[in-house]
Amino acid sequence: MYKKYDRRNFVKLSTSGTFDDADSFRNIFPKEAFPQNQTGSKTLRLGFIGIGGRGSYHLNAALGIEGVEVPAICELKPVRLYQAKRWIEAAGLPTPRLYDRGPEDFKRLCESEDLDAIICCTPWEYHTPVCVAAMKNNKHAVTEVPICITIEEAWEIVEIYESTGKWATMGLEFFYNLPILNMIQKGLFGDIVHAETGYIHDLRMVKFTPEEEPWRLQHSLNRNGNLYPDHPMASMLLALDINHGDRFDYIQSMSSNSVMLNNYAALNYGKDSLYAKAKVSLGDYNASIVRTINGKMMTIIHDTSTPHPREDYRIQGTKGVYLSNGKRIYLEGISPKEHEWEPADKYLKEYAHPVTVNYNPPPRKGGAIQGHGGGGTQTPQHWDRLVRALRENKLPDWDVYDSVTSSAIIPLSCASVANRSQAVDFPDFTKGKWKTSPRINLV
Amino acid sequence: MNKIYYNRRKFVKLSTTAAVGGAAVLSGIGFPKEASAQIQTNNRTLRLGFVGIGGRGSYHLNAALGIEGIEVPAICEVIPKRLQQAKKWIEEAGLPTPRLYDRGVTDFNRLCETEKLDAVICSTSWEWHTPVCLAAMKNDKHCVSEVPIVLTLDEAWQIVETYERTGKWATIGLEGFGQLSLLNMIQKGMLGDIIHAETGYIHDLRFVKFSPDEEPWRLQHSIDRNGNLYPDHPMNKMLPALDINHGDKIEYLVSMSSFGGMLNDYAAIYYKNKNHPLTKTKIALGNYNASLIRTTNGKMMTLIHDTSTPHPRENYRIQGTKGLYVGDATSKKIYIEGLSPVEHEWEPADPYLKEYEHPIAKNYNPPPRRGGEIQGHGGGGTQTPQHWDRLVRALRENKLPDWDVYDSITSSAISPITEASVANKGKAVDFPDFTKGKWKTRPPITLT
Repeated sequence: MYKKYDRRNFVKLSTSGTFDDADSFRNIFPKEAFPQNQTGSKTLRLGFIGIGGRGSYHLNAALGIEGVEVPAICELKPVRLYQAKRWIEAAGLPTPRLYDRGPEDFKRLCESEDLDAIICCTPWEYHTPVCVAAMKNNKHAVTEVPICITIEEAWEIVEIYESTGKWATMGLEFFYNLPILNMIQKGLFGDIVHAETGYIHDLRMVKFTPEEEPWRLQHSLNRNGNLYPDHPMASMLLALDINHGDRFDYIQSMSSNSVMLNNYAALNYGKDSLYAKAKVSLGDYNASIVRTINGKMMTIIHDTSTPHPREDYRIQGTKGVYLSNGKRIYLEGISPKEHEWEPADKYLKEYAHPVTVNYNPPPRKGGAIQGHGGGGTQTPQHWDRLVRALRENKLPDWDVYDSVTSSAIIPLSCASVANRSQAVDFPDFTKGKWKTSPRINLV
Repeated sequence: MNKIYYNRRKFVKLSTTAAVGGAAVLSGIGFPKEASAQIQTNNRTLRLGFVGIGGRGSYHLNAALGIEGIEVPAICEVIPKRLQQAKKWIEEAGLPTPRLYDRGVTDFNRLCETEKLDAVICSTSWEWHTPVCLAAMKNDKHCVSEVPIVLTLDEAWQIVETYERTGKWATIGLEGFGQLSLLNMIQKGMLGDIIHAETGYIHDLRFVKFSPDEEPWRLQHSIDRNGNLYPDHPMNKMLPALDINHGDKIEYLVSMSSFGGMLNDYAAIYYKNKNHPLTKTKIALGNYNASLIRTTNGKMMTLIHDTSTPHPRENYRIQGTKGLYVGDATSKKIYIEGLSPVEHEWEPADPYLKEYEHPIAKNYNPPPRRGGEIQGHGGGGTQTPQHWDRLVRALRENKLPDWDVYDSITSSAISPITEASVANKGKAVDFPDFTKGKWKTRPPITLT
């Protein structure tokens, strides 16, 4: 059972649509990876594995781009598989080959098909196996988050990348808070001292509803730590120059007790129902503090079980601080009143990131994008950038090292929680290259 | 080392919360339920000695002098100007001229040994708080100290042992408890069971640490120590909200600090000299410190300390099984499941904070105050502050103060424990059970 509706990104997007600037949605390239020359129109061959809510969105977005073909699709549920097939045919493309022989059939797809890349939108536990199968069969892999859930998986991805030259990425994850990143990189906050955000999103219903993501419940039963770090990391990784001049040194994580999921089951399914009594590992609230080699700090929160609106983002530098709660900013010597907030809006506008300002979406075939995360009528920038990376043989926005670094917070935080918040060293997936790897300047 | 300097922190704190937090914060003090009935206060004359009369000490002295039936027979202060001003205030209040203790930094010992007093009010610099408390308790006096009451675990245990042996208490009782309306809501179950609380002391003290008229002795603490150096203000909200020492206790904590250096940079600005020695002095304190604290019952706290970066003040966020609150000086929001109008969306907290105004704030009827506006840092009001009224009533009625000995030292002991954790790469450090098991049966702090 590896395909279920994926609501999280939909909800996330609709929320951030309300609160964040449009560029928060979009995705960007490392400077060296993306010159301003004209994109080629080489035909790209993509295979889709897992076509639930989020997979539908990605397929629909891809089908709107000129020169993208989808020769093969893999999905367990016939309803979803045949809907995807019809979409591909309706886009005027050849009928795709269907891979539907069980949860491991993605391997046959990777072995049989000649593709530039596969797009993986399965449940979490298949992300690394799908990436590995793709890379070993001469294909790049683009996966939903998290890209890995164990350290062994993280290293496996790094090693296969380094031996094959085929990359795996969570490059369709967005970088968030781009105007703030722009301000940071222009030095307005001075040197960054501390960043804090999290994934604070009430998923109790999502974890229990068959049409949502009930496989997530199993992760909550089995694991205690930060189970979903990649969305907050999409704000903080670049802001802290992780793997690009600095790197994570060690992490400490703490969880509260767990009562919320049992309570939710009791309320909705009865006091004697299975999950009202099941032992839930995941603490209702988890906080991790992470220190970098250069002495910066990060606080990253995970709370998917308590009732709440969404998380805040706070970043403190030697010259000022930004707080997303009320979008407020204080810059020493610039803000009109000493030690008092001022509204951040004019800064967010003035420092809108060039990749956002300059995005000129290519014409899209078809109407509004379907699937969870959809609704827009233009090609999302992260898809445009991914397609250009593939056509020009460039690295994607999240390279292999950054992708696995972000998701590795999961197993490392779990290890720390299991050992009374003990400091757990962060592996250097770059093997020293972080020292010389330049800051990511998105262009 | 000089023991008395201007103490600005409380002034800034109070003036901020006054703008922001409503009267409940200012008057935020109360008694354990058993300690204070609504009975008429008796007017027994109280004899108080003041040790350390800088900015904050002036405020306390001035507040005390406004209360009927308080005498100040003895004062102790190393700076003559301050000592003489205090003497003058006491005489102007129509009280007998106090005896003056001015023979150096340990002259409080002579005061405690010589004088017959109900209590000593200690507003010295940090390192003298415990010595003053111990001298008072050992000489048959209660002691009311500014925060922090201790800097080391040795000091904390000494205070507990002295209290248990003598029956004389030491307290940070003039600290008060913060966010009383919210505490009232929590104790009425509005947020369900508390899961996590986060706040801190986020207050840019670079100027205060360098200016001779402010608290330059604070700079030495930053040079010597790395951890959370000032936990008591945030703890005045979280300790009662999480029932610490009253049904739950702190089990362990881990603490992490960022790189330092802001104070070196500031030295160059302050002295307009890039080569000033303090630009090169090794500063132990990280610019940002965060501690994760777990309780025996599985609740969590995130506690922050940042006195060096440029910023407005801290947030307070508290999450329970039924909802949460986030508030700071200019924004207060709440979400309560099933009660807030839109699912998973904030609503303004103000109507709740008004509706659930704590009874002790609502019912406070300040006694007539002699004299005009209160002087000193924290002053400005024209009525007796509720924390002073409650302290006086506790003393007159032989009750415990709002912060008892165990709660007081638990709050301040966070400092040395964070330092131990930071020094050991964030290792979890067990929190001592100062109550020796009594936390299990001590009832929640219900202020009446």
